[in-house]
Amino acid sequence: MRDWKVFPFSAIVGQDKMKLGLALNAINPKLGGILIRGEKGTAKSTAVRALAALLPEIEVVKGCRFRCDPKLASKLCPECNARLEKDGKLETENLKMRVVDLPINATEDRVVGTLDLEHALKEGEKRFEPGVLAEAARGILYVDEVNLLDDHIVDVLLDSAAMGVNTVEREGVSYSHPAEFILVGTMNPEEGELRPQLLDRFGLCVNIQTIRDQDQRVEIIRRWSEYEDNPEQFSQKWKEEDGKLGARIEAAKKILPQVEISKEMLFRIAGISILLAVDGHRSDLVLMKAAKTRAAFMGRKEVLEEDVDACIEPAFAHRMRRRPFEEISFDSKKIGEMIARQESERAGSRY
Amino acid sequence: MDRKYRPPVFPFSALVGQDLLKIALLLNAVNPKLAGVLIRGDKGTAKSTAVRGLANLLPEIEEVSDCPFHCHPYNPSQMCERCAQRFASGEKIPTRTSRVRVVDLPLNATEDRLVGSIDFEHALKTGRKKFLPGILAEANRGIIYIDEVNLLEDHLVDILLDTAASGVNLAEREGISFCHPAEYILIATMNPEEGDIRPQFLDRFGLCVTIAGLNDPASRVEIALLREEFDRNPELFLNSWKPSEDKLRERIIRARELLGRVGISPAQLHQISKISLHHFVAGHRSDLLMEKASRTIAALEGRSQVMARDMELAAELVLAHRARNIAEPSLEKRPQEQSEGSAEKNPSEEGKNAAEETGREKSSGAGEQGESGDQSSTERSPQSYPGNAEDFSGKGQAPSQDQVFKIGHPLSVTTRDLRFARDTLKRNQSGRRTRTRTSNRTGRYVRATSQRLNNDLALDATLRASAPYQKRRPKTHLAVNIQEPDIREKIRMKKTSNLLLFVVDASGSMGTKLMSETKGAIFALLLEAYQKRDRVGLIAFRGMKAELLLPPTNSIELAKKRLEELPTGGKTPLGHGLLTAYQTLDRELRREPDLLPMLIVVTDGRANVGLDRGKYYEGPQFGEIYQEIYELCGLIKNKQKLRSLVIDAEEKRLGSFGRSKKLAQALEAKYVILEELVKDEILKTIESELG
Repeated sequence: MRDWKVFPFSAIVGQDKMKLGLALNAINPKLGGILIRGEKGTAKSTAVRALAALLPEIEVVKGCRFRCDPKLASKLCPECNARLEKDGKLETENLKMRVVDLPINATEDRVVGTLDLEHALKEGEKRFEPGVLAEAARGILYVDEVNLLDDHIVDVLLDSAAMGVNTVEREGVSYSHPAEFILVGTMNPEEGELRPQLLDRFGLCVNIQTIRDQDQRVEIIRRWSEYEDNPEQFSQKWKEEDGKLGARIEAAKKILPQVEISKEMLFRIAGISILLAVDGHRSDLVLMKAAKTRAAFMGRKEVLEEDVDACIEPAFAHRMRRRPFEEISFDSKKIGEMIARQESERAGSRY
Repeated sequence: MDRKYRPPVFPFSALVGQDLLKIALLLNAVNPKLAGVLIRGDKGTAKSTAVRGLANLLPEIEEVSDCPFHCHPYNPSQMCERCAQRFASGEKIPTRTSRVRVVDLPLNATEDRLVGSIDFEHALKTGRKKFLPGILAEANRGIIYIDEVNLLEDHLVDILLDTAASGVNLAEREGISFCHPAEYILIATMNPEEGDIRPQFLDRFGLCVTIAGLNDPASRVEIALLREEFDRNPELFLNSWKPSEDKLRERIIRARELLGRVGISPAQLHQISKISLHHFVAGHRSDLLMEKASRTIAALEGRSQVMARDMELAAELVLAHRARNIAEPSLEKRPQEQSEGSAEKNPSEEGKNAAEETGREKSSGAGEQGESGDQSSTERSPQSYPGNAEDFSGKGQAPSQDQVFKIGHPLSVTTRDLRFARDTLKRNQSGRRTRTRTSNRTGRYVRATSQRLNNDLALDATLRASAPYQKRRPKTHLAVNIQEPDIREKIRMKKTSNLLLFVVDASGSMGTKLMSETKGAIFALLLEAYQKRDRVGLIAFRGMKAELLLPPTNSIELAKKRLEELPTGGKTPLGHGLLTAYQTLDRELRREPDLLPMLIVVTDGRANVGLDRGKYYEGPQFGEIYQEIYELCGLIKNKQKLRSLVIDAEEKRLGSFGRSKKLAQALEAKYVILEELVKDEILKTIESELG
């Protein structure tokens, strides 16, 4: 079944960094999401929806509000746990990956969940009504203009994304449930930045720009009008391409647990973090995971230098320390040179 | 409903490095009287991971098994009323052992969940009021864990302060009164970049550690490998770490048993009070804590006698956030101190100096907080402003490192505490000047009220209010019959931002030198705004019109860029500038009614373009232009909550017009002269304006 109302992923022209970043997150949800920074009208939202449409279905516990993975006994929600204890097994079903939108004006109770009004009035009992974080569990949570969201909402969001748990102690409700989702945030930097602490919580970050190449622009117009005239036909045309990518992502998911990374590569990663003087250890972990995921995406079970290098920018773009008035930017050439120099020094000192 | 989802936790013993953090946490596991830990550090430095890991290592305690407050089974002073009665009547109280609990207090918790509330299900069914215990009850004799504690709402902090001091949760709310023991310790993490916590609250934490990421590649690689292994298969990983976790747990148990027998000599006690005196620590808490901490450290190391290094470590942990010497970063004072240090060869004396240094660095920040800095206020000086503090940290580091700290954890103390000092400042700036009750329906729901304000229904509170009457009220098709008097509404709080709107004269009369000074001054203000995450807007006027060069934004980068590009020359349409400012303020306030705007006008005041006429005026016609301008000022100054500042950029010499001063009067604005300003002065002016 193919939803033809969604523009096909493979038909998106250019924006390769964003596409790679999204694909890596789809393969490995533990990467911690992606922040897409760029101007309006650069296919950000189109890409996210398109990607979700081509992803393989996920296996979930049937009827579970948090779409628990039946294979992970340690991460079942309280309700599934109770069911497992009672019945000794869990029924499963397959569901499409979903994309849940978080509107800018979302209130905190809608995000984290709240007391179920209807149930309380009808039955006179307390029940937890899940919020957006529950809806997005094991799916994609898409936050457009994340920099315009109220600070306290962003805090909650990133907290849950990082811990994989949503803890609610409010409005008479005391509850916690799994909330692992791929967080995709977009923002236009001209409207203001995110706080550094919040930036750091996004696993990857890409800066995208409007395409300046005339031929590509023409191609975008052509494809888009073709799609609008007859979405169904257009989707059919790209079905094969999208199918291939879907299969590639699925294959990558399977080999990801077997991907090995050498000590050498790990030292390279640690060296880069130290060289770029970023705060904390999250960058190391993200770069390592991203490199492994890219290797899997390339169909390899071993991380090569190129995997690490390809992931430096998305892993560090938003973590680089900057002085108050510096813009978030990433000079890949300069940093490449710095790394090469450090590596050769290290090699030199070894022999 | 009450069952909680608990994902697997990274084992404590598998944490790489961060020894100080680990010790501080373990000490609290051994001795709850140490009153918790505050962990300050960069993002991504395993703060939360360590605390969650600790939960699995905590020892078991005995408690009354059918008491929601987890009362102590034998000690009446640690019992709730009901248990105490049972105990007094000689009734046999059922007991059980359970692990010390770590209860999460999420940032978005509401008051009713923290202190407890009326049990509305019970009230519905029986018509009787019953208390439903909250987090404070759950955490009695346990630990409350708060992630990002500096972002916790003030009203929750107040409750914590209150109960932490008394050890009792006593409340009258929703027609029910209750009282139960609430003796808990606080463990919290925070990233100082995000703002700080109140000094009073700070004091509630027995110990404090500041941590940073590890910088050697080998440890970083080790961290990455362990984390990856854990993520790949948590169960397997936990199994393989079980032996070392068990060992650590045993160590804690042994230390608990040993603790009562650990001796501390009278001389050592003297030493402790001397250290406290040296730091001008308020009260005696630090003495008591240092004594306890020293003994606990010894116990954890399996010794029954306190040694000098235990006390050094204890001083470091206890005084990190308490010591406040003089809020003067005097570099001159150092050499003297160094000579003292080298004269006394006694190791613990030197340790004391190390800790004292800690205090000094810290206090340069604390002095600014006002609430705590009273004693040291005489010494408060412009040095506590950011630029200087940073400079000072940088300069101070080198000389102090080598000479003063030789024992214990010498080098790390310096850097950590220099960081501490800097961070303190940063967060002070992002401080708490901007929390207001909101009147519209945005912001965080903090509590409920029976006042009807704007139909923002607080369902939970409404249900609780109506519950006790259900037995008596007629049945409807719903389970609950809610009537008008039951209705409760939400009180919401929101952090609002300041808006700094600059109106800058870019006319020819400003001249190159003046303009560059003006830009410098604005730049300094922008830096401030950046640190405080204020929003800024920029209006410039020159020639025949004014332009909103930068619509209000919190992107300071953009503001800076616009400022750099700002061209000068032409006539001075001051009226246009003010009109644009008025319109902008109007729009912004309509969009965000809680905004706190501040208008900053930089001009030499020599307006020479009229609003509608757009003509160049000279001589007596100035009067007409100023008529317009004063009218505008009248409009602007009536804007709600607006504060204004006029920076006079006119060169003060014979024959200057002094029109900016009149402008300031018309705006009821604060008036300063650019020439007389040094950067810090401007900052201070703004600072005092913004409170």
